[in-house]
Amino acid sequence: MSSNRSGSSAAMPPAASTAPLGGAANADAKGDMNAPPLLDARGVVKRYGKFTALGGVDLRVRAGTVHSVIGPNGAGKTTLFHTLTGTVPITAGTIQFAGHDVTHEPDNVRVRRGIARSFQVTSLFANLDVRENLRLAAQGAHPTGAFDMWHAPGRRREIAELADAILQRLGLTARAGTAAGALSHGQQRRLEVGMALAARPRAIFLDEPTSGMGVDDLDGMKTLIRGLAADHTVLLIEHNMNIVMDISDTVTVMQQGRVLVEGTPAAIRDDDRVRAAYLGNMITGGRA
Amino acid sequence: MNASRRAYPLANLFANPGWWLALAVVLILPLTLNSGTLATEVLVYALAVLGCNLLLGYTGLLSFGQGIFFGMGSYTLGILMTRAGLGLPLSVLLALVAGALTAALVGWFAIRQRGTYFVMLTLAFAQMFYFLAYSLPDWTGGDNGLLNIPRPPLSLFGMTLMPLDSPWRFYTLVAVCFLVVFWLLQRVTASVFGRTLLAIRENETRASAVGYDTRRFKLAAFALSGAVTGLAGAFHALMTGIAPLSNIEYHTSEMILVMTVIGGTGNLFASVLGAAFYVLMSDWLSTLWPRWLLLLGLLLIGVSLFMHKGLWGLLQRGWTALRRGRAAAAAPEGAPEGER
Repeated sequence: MSSNRSGSSAAMPPAASTAPLGGAANADAKGDMNAPPLLDARGVVKRYGKFTALGGVDLRVRAGTVHSVIGPNGAGKTTLFHTLTGTVPITAGTIQFAGHDVTHEPDNVRVRRGIARSFQVTSLFANLDVRENLRLAAQGAHPTGAFDMWHAPGRRREIAELADAILQRLGLTARAGTAAGALSHGQQRRLEVGMALAARPRAIFLDEPTSGMGVDDLDGMKTLIRGLAADHTVLLIEHNMNIVMDISDTVTVMQQGRVLVEGTPAAIRDDDRVRAAYLGNMITGGRA
Repeated sequence: MNASRRAYPLANLFANPGWWLALAVVLILPLTLNSGTLATEVLVYALAVLGCNLLLGYTGLLSFGQGIFFGMGSYTLGILMTRAGLGLPLSVLLALVAGALTAALVGWFAIRQRGTYFVMLTLAFAQMFYFLAYSLPDWTGGDNGLLNIPRPPLSLFGMTLMPLDSPWRFYTLVAVCFLVVFWLLQRVTASVFGRTLLAIRENETRASAVGYDTRRFKLAAFALSGAVTGLAGAFHALMTGIAPLSNIEYHTSEMILVMTVIGGTGNLFASVLGAAFYVLMSDWLSTLWPRWLLLLGLLLIGVSLFMHKGLWGLLQRGWTALRRGRAAAAAPEGAPEGER
């Protein structure tokens, strides 16, 4: 592992426990067009056998922004997230994050670089309680401490405090002792986001955080994501255009494993190709 | 569960009754059994089952390779004591290390795969080690096994601590080691490490996504499991005076797994229950009916169909029902009903 991490706070939490959710990302100048992008992916290709899921995607994400990836079903959005976060290995291309080449690092190593994600299909520790889920996620950013075979969790106060702070932020404090699998769908989706948050990442990748959520839960999720944007770089896959257009700084539209167009929400809304490919034809995800 | 509870070793003992139950078993066995060897056998297999439970119950790894580590423990101890002339404590310790190293080797390969292929890899290793032992008679005695393993008095640095010439004296040594190992495993399973294993058992993909190198954790679990199982194998060889080929056979792996499942996974005392049940039942039933394994098959079907938590789960359910029954019996006094 390289020792010259440019953002050391991505690897270790800041000492100030009074602001446990702040930190690294605050220092990233929001929208500074001259700063090098936090995430710089070039020519990302992912093939499954003969099927090409990603046919050479370029994506640059500036620090401190909310960057949404939209596109019809099967456009390769989730596969792109999988390659960027290290969930699946990349076939070709390069991925730079905060100045490090992370192209061939596995997901658990990228967490220490400051990358954390949520899953489109809820993926929790279903039989463990909600607090334990968050504690595990918070500890995961310091995995060497997890080899402690002698002491029960709870000695590292900052991890417990972080878990409690996130519980509060998710509005799940009252359910802290409930098994994650017993939560309602909306609560599980929020915990899913909380799991990514617990790593105190510089960039947080949210894969359809509202998927399957009822109308009643949507506002809460929107508020939650908007809150994240204050101190994280957010990458968002989302089908809910209301949320995407409202909170994004940049929107990338994907289609058939490639980037169709990228721009501000206003520009995207008015783009004819996007209308043809996606917005006008959301349900079928039809081809342009 | 109270997550904020601080971990003090002694407080832990009281908070978790497992160790006390294990102590109770250690004390009850001599009072109820005539044979010290049978009692020792219970504890020896309890150790092996604890090792298996660590993998199956806490990490979610179904390993058919436990017999390898058991046999490795037996052979290592046998070779060291009969050929190298090493003392008993050192031989036992090295058998434990041999179990750990073998498990690390097998684990290193096996954890590259998940699910069915993981299981198949452990099976393949089990067969391989069996034939390896079979084809190296100079080392292992081949078909006959290593014979005449002595059981000298326990001594450290030239001081004789305790003779081991009778089965019950040997039982005492095994019982003390068993209780120590149980306590250590209780700490390990409750530790940050143990809780991470549980997370891997629950959802390996997520565990990896939140930052854990799951392979390293699984490898460590394998090594620990192998150490405990190797220790069990060493005691087995000391108990019987031989290190037979059957100790490294596939059948031993299967037996350890069956005991683990019958007792119940994910709880350490359940392993003691499973081993005690299997060893004592087989001892009793085999005198009544040579086809007793058939009954065991039925029991295993019953456990697989109806009681996934094994005997331990059954006891828990019984205990809850009993307490509820008592509460119900006490309730009418407070709420008298009309007499008829």
